[in-house]
Amino acid sequence: MKIFHKCALLTWLGIVLSGCGPSPTFLNPASSIAEHEAKLYNNILIMALVVFVLVEICLIWILIRDRNPKGDNTPPKQIYGNSKLEITWTVIPVLLTVILFVMTVQTMQSVAAPAASANDINLHVIGHRWWWEFDYTNLGIKTANELHIPVGATVQITLDSVDVIHSFWVPQLSGKTDVVPGQTNHMWLTADQTGVFIGQCAEFCGLEHALMRIKVFVDSQDDFNAWVSNQQKPAVQPQTAEEQAGFEDVSGVCASCHSLNPAESENKVGPNLAHLFSRSTFAGATYDLTEENLRGWLHDTQLMKPGNIMSIKLAPEEIDRILAYLKLLK
Amino acid sequence: MTVQTQINSKMQEAAQSGFLSWTVTVDHKRIGILYLLSASLFFLLGGFEALLMRIQLAQPDSRFLSPDLYNQIFTMHGTTMIFLVVMPLAAGFGNYLIPLMIGARDMAYPKLNALSYWTFLFGGVFMYSSFIFGGAPNDGWFSYAPLTEKLYSPTHGIDFWIMGILLLGFATTIGSINFIVTVIQLRAPGLTLTRLPLFVWTMTVTSFLAVFSLPSLTTAVLLLFLDRQLGAHFYNVGQGGSALLWQHLFWFFGHPEVYILILPAMGIVSEVIPVFSGRPLFGYPAVVFSAIAIGFLGFTVWAHHMFATGMPSSALLFFAADSFLIGVPTGVKIFAWLGTMWKGKLRFATPMLFAVGFVAMFLIGGLDGIHLAVVPVDWQLTDTYYVVSHLHYVLFGGAIFGIFSGVYYWFPKITGRRLQEGLGKWHFWLMFIGMNLVFMPMHILGLEGMPRRIYTYSPGRGWEIWNFIETVGALIIAVAVLIFIVNFLTSLRKKATNEADPWDGFTLEWKTASPPPVYNFAEIPSVRGRRPLWDEKHPDQADWKAGE
Repeated sequence: MKIFHKCALLTWLGIVLSGCGPSPTFLNPASSIAEHEAKLYNNILIMALVVFVLVEICLIWILIRDRNPKGDNTPPKQIYGNSKLEITWTVIPVLLTVILFVMTVQTMQSVAAPAASANDINLHVIGHRWWWEFDYTNLGIKTANELHIPVGATVQITLDSVDVIHSFWVPQLSGKTDVVPGQTNHMWLTADQTGVFIGQCAEFCGLEHALMRIKVFVDSQDDFNAWVSNQQKPAVQPQTAEEQAGFEDVSGVCASCHSLNPAESENKVGPNLAHLFSRSTFAGATYDLTEENLRGWLHDTQLMKPGNIMSIKLAPEEIDRILAYLKLLK
Repeated sequence: MTVQTQINSKMQEAAQSGFLSWTVTVDHKRIGILYLLSASLFFLLGGFEALLMRIQLAQPDSRFLSPDLYNQIFTMHGTTMIFLVVMPLAAGFGNYLIPLMIGARDMAYPKLNALSYWTFLFGGVFMYSSFIFGGAPNDGWFSYAPLTEKLYSPTHGIDFWIMGILLLGFATTIGSINFIVTVIQLRAPGLTLTRLPLFVWTMTVTSFLAVFSLPSLTTAVLLLFLDRQLGAHFYNVGQGGSALLWQHLFWFFGHPEVYILILPAMGIVSEVIPVFSGRPLFGYPAVVFSAIAIGFLGFTVWAHHMFATGMPSSALLFFAADSFLIGVPTGVKIFAWLGTMWKGKLRFATPMLFAVGFVAMFLIGGLDGIHLAVVPVDWQLTDTYYVVSHLHYVLFGGAIFGIFSGVYYWFPKITGRRLQEGLGKWHFWLMFIGMNLVFMPMHILGLEGMPRRIYTYSPGRGWEIWNFIETVGALIIAVAVLIFIVNFLTSLRKKATNEADPWDGFTLEWKTASPPPVYNFAEIPSVRGRRPLWDEKHPDQADWKAGE
């Protein structure tokens, strides 16, 4: 079975890599969870392919062999059934279902969440239309759309939604868990290699479901510690007059929906801005976070993500001021 | 003749001529034709919507459709293909064929039958009218709450959807009761249940499934209606409602619905393969039993659509195990079709091509479905294009291929003319190639992490090439459908040959003229076996002599 598994994995990797760029596929797992799921997928694929090939070969063989010769009008021998055969092809699938069941139970046990421990990272994921709020409950950090986790750590996740059903999914790290309003779901994550892994909302949640994406940075422990200590700092104070003016705009206009406090306990309707420019993307991990893109966004949010709830009209000079301040929020 | 029967026959005459007569007809054959034609028009609409989606997704970051329009289109594509195409096509065949196959003069309740058709048509037109009245439904064919609540879906699209579903559910329910009563009450002498043609059997099981599953859907949409219009909070979480209540109610209908869609096609294939192999269906009792078993099991697997919603392990395993079990009766059917062809004398006319295509493609939809029943794999693959691929191998490679097999098979009975074989073969092969180009790469996209129902995607994830190939495949299917339309229209203009039995058939519908007279049979036939026409043509080898 092992060698089959390797072959299947290589075949799939071949297919997957033949596309244009690396796919977020669980067949190229970055965690033990996704690896177990990929193994199970491949083993079942092998079983299914064996059945598929046998049945289709049998079918094609019959089609070629038993074609009625032209001009032959005599009926073939009439056969009504065969109890032995029929029992055989009922019992074999029953046995296969037992095997499937055992494989399912085994994998479910292998990917079950470990008991909570003091070293775990506790993460509260909150689904919004259409962005992700990430609350590191024991680190005092609130951020959005981009997740940082240290390699090898156990991340215990609780999931809630403030509006409709979403689904949290980063294929290379774990299968998906629905984010259901009024019901707190649980899942866990772990990653066994550093890197950046992408995912996105998997349950249709309305207009911009397609632009509700996730980026997970799996950092080395040192990088993660550095990230945490930076995120825990309060937002930078403005220095120049322009930055000061921008800060006042942000505190006035933006603050009703966005917080500048990384440990804000109040639930705001928009992403936390305290360390906005430490992120690589914005608007549901859709656009690269560059000054140019952000300027376009502030100019007309509906053009870049039609239907999102941020609707604001800003004069160009206001945008300049706000950007001057926001850029400081590394 | 009593006065009453004189009046009846006068009414019948009046109901038989002229265009308007189609609006008052209660003849099961004419209602069947109305069903088939209306559903075919909806098929073209649903197919057009599929093409729009494929054009949108052919390249990344496309702006061909707005997100809002894309969401309406995919919702209406699914709703159309399920409620306005496959279900009414099956109802059309059922209406036309069941009385003929069981040697009856009409359905048990002809007027209810007309009511059922007109309600269906009105429901479909009503739902489509939403496009001109402020926007079509836009939350997917399973319209999950609370997204469908007024707060999140403020347009009237969902209201149109609710009312449309209620109308279509009503039409299907009375239609199903009519089928059940007809099959129980109106069978010709000697046509016992163990001699019923397989298509009649699968339509009967389908009808039971509809009668027992639709109340759950009706309840679900009525509660949603109360939420939206009268401020109730069944699904409104903020006021103590439950988001998952909808999913349980919906899928308790939704999974039997899958079998409502596929069983009639299985029945068609079980008629066509024996005739074109010159053989009785291999293991008839086992096939009938497997259809009934699928019917029962179909009610116990609904939550396999909900594996990612946070259910306890015990529930997950229960629904997984039941879902595996459905593979057993499905396997029995596939092996029975192979057994029927084995050492038969196969004639590859177009109905047979589509029937064999059904077996080959449905097998794929059965096998990739295993992945979705295995809980940890489903956590990865649910709500991705893997599911889209799976359901289209079942519903396109399965249901639609089965239905086309039936169209080519019974067209001569309905019109007195055959569809042209040459164009039929083009139609089959283009559709076969096209569907595999569309739906096979969807497996890969699902594995590569592409969720369903996204109106666009970014480049650089390896998704472009497969999406492009799929769009090419969709265009090939469109060409195949065009060829079918040409075939259909030109064949209708040919001179009628009125062959009663063009395929050397087995069942009673081939005993009467093509097209059949209003009264179907001058004399109600009596039956001694499962293949009355075979018995008639081969008295030495009659089934009842072989002790079937």
